[in-house]
Amino acid sequence: MINTIYIEEEIAAHPRTQAILERFPNAVTISCGRYGEIFNRKAQNFRLQKKQPALILARKHKSLVLPTPKQYGIGAEHNYYFSHMLNCLYDCRYCFLQGMFQSAHYVLFVNYEDFIEEMQSLITKHDKETVHFFSGYDCDSLALDPVTDFTNKFLPFFEDNPQALLELRTKSTQIRTLLKREPIQNCVIAFSFTPDNIAIALEHKTPAVNKRLQAIIDLQQAGWQVGLRFDPLIYTKDYANEYTGLFNDIFSKINPEFTHSVSLGSFRLPKDYFRKLEKLYPDDKLFASPLVEKNNSIGYPTEIHDDMLEFCKDIITQHIPTEKFFPCHETI
Amino acid sequence: MIHVFCALPCEAEPIIQYFKLTGLKQFDLFRIYLSKDKQTSLTITGTGKLNASSAVSYHHACLNTSAGDIWLNVGIAGHASIPVGEARLINKITDNQDKSCWYPQIIFKPPCDSAPLITLDNPSTDYQNTLIDMEASGFYQMALRLGTAELIHCLKIISDNHDQPTSSVNADNVKKLIAAQIETIENILDLLKPFSTEIDSTIKEPEHYPTFIEQWHFTQSERIQLLRLLRQWSVRLPNEDVIQSVTDLNTGKSVLNKLKNKLNESEFVIYD
Repeated sequence: MINTIYIEEEIAAHPRTQAILERFPNAVTISCGRYGEIFNRKAQNFRLQKKQPALILARKHKSLVLPTPKQYGIGAEHNYYFSHMLNCLYDCRYCFLQGMFQSAHYVLFVNYEDFIEEMQSLITKHDKETVHFFSGYDCDSLALDPVTDFTNKFLPFFEDNPQALLELRTKSTQIRTLLKREPIQNCVIAFSFTPDNIAIALEHKTPAVNKRLQAIIDLQQAGWQVGLRFDPLIYTKDYANEYTGLFNDIFSKINPEFTHSVSLGSFRLPKDYFRKLEKLYPDDKLFASPLVEKNNSIGYPTEIHDDMLEFCKDIITQHIPTEKFFPCHETI
Repeated sequence: MIHVFCALPCEAEPIIQYFKLTGLKQFDLFRIYLSKDKQTSLTITGTGKLNASSAVSYHHACLNTSAGDIWLNVGIAGHASIPVGEARLINKITDNQDKSCWYPQIIFKPPCDSAPLITLDNPSTDYQNTLIDMEASGFYQMALRLGTAELIHCLKIISDNHDQPTSSVNADNVKKLIAAQIETIENILDLLKPFSTEIDSTIKEPEHYPTFIEQWHFTQSERIQLLRLLRQWSVRLPNEDVIQSVTDLNTGKSVLNKLKNKLNESEFVIYD
């Protein structure tokens, strides 16, 4: 899976680096100064690199934990996100990472302790108030968990800090580590979904929708809180039937008691990212969708956006109490 | 298209013979060779990174290269212990003068091992556990300005080491060393070709674009809109004749409006 590993000289001796290298004894290792020498270089082609991404082991020096944009959240006043990784195993055509990053390589920041220290100081700063931490903005939280050992390191911290909540955003079925331990109530494993036909067209290399659903069932049976993320909603002529089928399938199988929250938002991208994606995949149907440009963003025209959101909201709220429902009202 | 760069005529000769390249007499600053089908070219850069960099730039200007092209620097290099004659695909280039580094992106399983390299300003017999040459950093940083990183590579063949120092290197030996690795060179080029084709497919103009430009006047920004609309048309309405749908219109603006309206009216299904 990983043929090349770049290693920042500074973290070459870090125990986590050594543990990861042991997992890939045949990988070519290349030392580097800072990960940006590889990751941020221009003239790289994301589409080509996605065929054989390398792993870059690095140290995150600053901005380890950042406030989320205001419109994002699942009920708390204080919301932060952090990225122990950049990029993802999967290849979803709508993913903004393709527009944001020059490189498709996976960057793993091995200094988990520094992330935890920064989270601890934020929890202290907000005293006894609830603080939500979101993982999975710039990566899939679980897809590489067997390699990164991310959950094993971070979950005990949250177990010790019940006023904080961790969201693990994922499309992965890598839940073995979670099933092996006792669940904690302040961790939400949030699964992203699009209907089957749309997932097949756009979410390349991801586990099938029914496999994700089975992962949810297994997690809920083990006592974990699960989130449902219908973001981005993707327009297609028959979206009503597609999403009705998806919602019926999901809500008939999941346990509402262990469903922490549901959120949704329609497809939109910053204009610059969209134009870059369009150049990478000019023949992809997503970029021939009915889309409009407004306020430096590209998304669906108001009519489509509103219709889809209203339609989905109506069905979701039949299954989920409104206090658990968090539509993203970000329009363009 | 493939662009090969060698510092010395003796490095180039086996490649010129193998790919049946002929010299282009109209270019005299550097010697440039081209295959009959015009798909493979080679330039002799002379020694040193400045020559390598200048030759890449000159080659680009002469042959009008594109983002989907393959760039390969082939040459000899020294190393402390790698046996003479072995080839290495370079995975890190360090310029010894300012310590700048570049990391060629190897997204395929190469036919030989990969290794790091240091580009020196002067010949040296101070062998290290890294390959040493005199051109790669100059070649790579200029090629990176003109091409796509994943398609730019350096292949080095060990010509000297501690046991067999440079005193044993001569033009005849070098020809033999390169000739013995022709298959490796060809394998690498074959591995890169599908990526090159993929990039070409993303930058090619839509089929009818030249007809539109010939038939109607479009401003620069309208041309960008036209490109986008024609691409959308080919994805959404592959069976409809786009020329036929606008044939009676007189202005570029009205053509763009017609294409937009037709696309807006069409049903959109994201999956096949």
